[in-house]
Amino acid sequence: MDLGLNVWAAFELSTLPQQVINGLLLGAIYALIALGYTMVYGVLRLINFAHGEVFMLGAYTALFASWFLGYGKGSTLETSGPANLMILLIASMCVCGIVGVAIERFAYRPMRSQPRIAALITAIGVSLLIQYGGALVLPIAPPPSINEKVNPYRGVVTMNLVGGDPQLLEGYEKAKIEFETAEKEWQAARDAKAPDEAIRTLRDKKNDADRTMGDLQRRMDNSGVKIRIPQGQLIMFGTTIVLMIMLTYLVMFTAVGRAMRAVSHDFDSASLMGINVGKIVTITFLIGSMLASAGAMMNATFLGTPLTTFFGVMPGVKAFVAAVLGGIGNIPGAVLGGFLMGIAETAVIWAGYGQYKDAIAFIILIVVLLFRPGGLLGSAKVEKV
Amino acid sequence: MNVKLRSAAFSAVACFVLGGLLAGCGSGGGSSTGDTGGTSGTSSTSGGSLQPGDQTPDPNKIKIGLVASINGDLKPWGMDSQNGALLAVDEINKAGGIGGKEVQLLIEDSNSTPEQGKTAAERLISKGCVAVVGEVASGITAQIALAAQEKKIPVVAVGATKTELPGIGEHVFRVCYTDDLQGPVMATFAYEELGLRNVAIVTDNKQPYSTYLSKTFRDSFEKQGGKIVDEQFYESKQTQFGPLLTNLKAKNPDGLFLSGYFTEVGPIVRQAAEAGLNAKFLGGDGWDSAEILTSGGDAILGGFFCNHYNNQEDRPEVKTFLEKWQAAFGGVPGTTMGALGYDAVGVALDALKRASDVNSAESVLAAISETEGFAGVSGVITLKGSGGNPDKRALVVKLAKEGQVYEKAYEVSEVKR
Repeated sequence: MDLGLNVWAAFELSTLPQQVINGLLLGAIYALIALGYTMVYGVLRLINFAHGEVFMLGAYTALFASWFLGYGKGSTLETSGPANLMILLIASMCVCGIVGVAIERFAYRPMRSQPRIAALITAIGVSLLIQYGGALVLPIAPPPSINEKVNPYRGVVTMNLVGGDPQLLEGYEKAKIEFETAEKEWQAARDAKAPDEAIRTLRDKKNDADRTMGDLQRRMDNSGVKIRIPQGQLIMFGTTIVLMIMLTYLVMFTAVGRAMRAVSHDFDSASLMGINVGKIVTITFLIGSMLASAGAMMNATFLGTPLTTFFGVMPGVKAFVAAVLGGIGNIPGAVLGGFLMGIAETAVIWAGYGQYKDAIAFIILIVVLLFRPGGLLGSAKVEKV
Repeated sequence: MNVKLRSAAFSAVACFVLGGLLAGCGSGGGSSTGDTGGTSGTSSTSGGSLQPGDQTPDPNKIKIGLVASINGDLKPWGMDSQNGALLAVDEINKAGGIGGKEVQLLIEDSNSTPEQGKTAAERLISKGCVAVVGEVASGITAQIALAAQEKKIPVVAVGATKTELPGIGEHVFRVCYTDDLQGPVMATFAYEELGLRNVAIVTDNKQPYSTYLSKTFRDSFEKQGGKIVDEQFYESKQTQFGPLLTNLKAKNPDGLFLSGYFTEVGPIVRQAAEAGLNAKFLGGDGWDSAEILTSGGDAILGGFFCNHYNNQEDRPEVKTFLEKWQAAFGGVPGTTMGALGYDAVGVALDALKRASDVNSAESVLAAISETEGFAGVSGVITLKGSGGNPDKRALVVKLAKEGQVYEKAYEVSEVKR
């Protein structure tokens, strides 16, 4: 790792469009989870540290639902369809909605009349309770991951923005033929049980041809601009956007949404104006948890990370930072913060400083908070004494 | 007062409700498939008959302590190491114990964390254990070593491969190879057997294990004449790897060396295939889990990694070990830690047989450091004059649909460091 003078050497312009897409895909999930943090903070001024754990339970629910559908251990089902994914999504949204509401009802509501710090500590307690308590009853990295069989979307969507250099294509075709003959020779030698030395020479020849071919292919790819998006991640992105639009509609154009905004604006006045504050808080937790679990279900299905009860920790922290960056309590801010985090992280990796990606993400956060203490879209309010 | 009581009651109810929900999920899933048992599928402990014995220290028995990750992230490895240890102790007791005295195995859970590992070791020492066996990970082992330092209680590490360990060679010993070996083993294999020349490295920035393994691989591979075309970093628990894979693809490597743990390697390899990366995948013993096959999908098949032991190896020790395991627990060990746990306890028991006083940690320590040519399941272990690190062979295994397939064994002298 050199922090020397060739700062620009690592920039590979041809991968830039692909990296922008990567950043958006990453940011969409951050944004989806950040929404839950920001909504709860908006109405209660409480940082719901258990939100990451709701995310984790969402992934587990999706897994159990997939077992229920018959994709468990030793399943003989080979194919799946979008209907199954819908069932998983709805199951985990329902269960997590209930879990989120239960956490609010039994852990946070009794603390509401207490100082805010008590509720905050409770939130940390609930988070640890679910992480470690869950580890006692939930299977760790259970064998058939959802990704394995239920996910029917394994393909890749490829888009050619700019075509490759035709001359390179010609060279590539030639190299490909050379490689294929070399591979056949090597195969034939292996089948004929030729002496080890001879096989090794042929194999090296094949590998050399492979390298030449790969190199030409890379140069061809780099002369054009190509974007590859795995189908699963494309669906993930699309679903996230749809959910965000639905949320916007709910908050901006319905009676419940208006009440939510009122509670967020001034909790006590809203309750004096006849708004059922308890109900609004419950709905807020319901929606926030459902969004997180949708993210969790898609994460578990399309990315293939093994489940543990600590599955929600990392996304939870990142999303929390995104929410603060955008201005905690502000819904568009959470989305903006999420996308910014995703793109900033990707940009750092693209520039060749992947080792420092979190450090740089946090420097961005600190700089933003120095100039805008309330976050990008939030407003810094002076606490009334 | 009343209000406070009420809120306390609410919190208690919340615990129950949440606990109930979680348990409900677990059993619901279990009943629909019939055979999930609520435990990890990577270790084959279900239906086992050999269980940990009475945990109250018995003054008439020789006490050996085991620190195992019975809960937490390392559970699949921890359970296997515990089973291996149980098997070794059960065997010696059935054969009449040591000098007519029975051996008692006291087990404490480290919960996969170094802090709790230290407490666990302290508890075992205060119960009068003359030797402590454990752990499967280097970070936890280092804490156990510190806990045992003052009283110079001998520690036999199961799977701690980190080269630097506190007290290694003094009162800490291991039955596994070190990262100094497995990086070069994979580099030699990649260069000579696979004929790879341009390799990229992917490192888990949060794990010292991974950063060090990447370094030893890089040094050896470059020394042999290969080229490291790129190194990319991620962190444990990351789920999306698109950005770093796009960078790697632009460098067109023939091989990828992924030095992290299976929890992230599986998803990386899967996403690498989706990103259009066409390369051979290689790694260290952090890959050793059945889970990597499900999280990696078809993309991981044909990948190679370095391991301590393989169920398929054609050696008499392995065959008898597998028969004993089958009889005691059913099935085969899911990870290599079953064999290493068995060997670690084996080394301690072997030392007890030779020790002048089985109740003195000092003489047991002296006996362990004199171990010579112990025929372990994972290979011959000699600790005499080795600084605590046995010169053990390493295996390269290939991932196939049916599991880990034995590919090649490297003796220490064959590895180009």
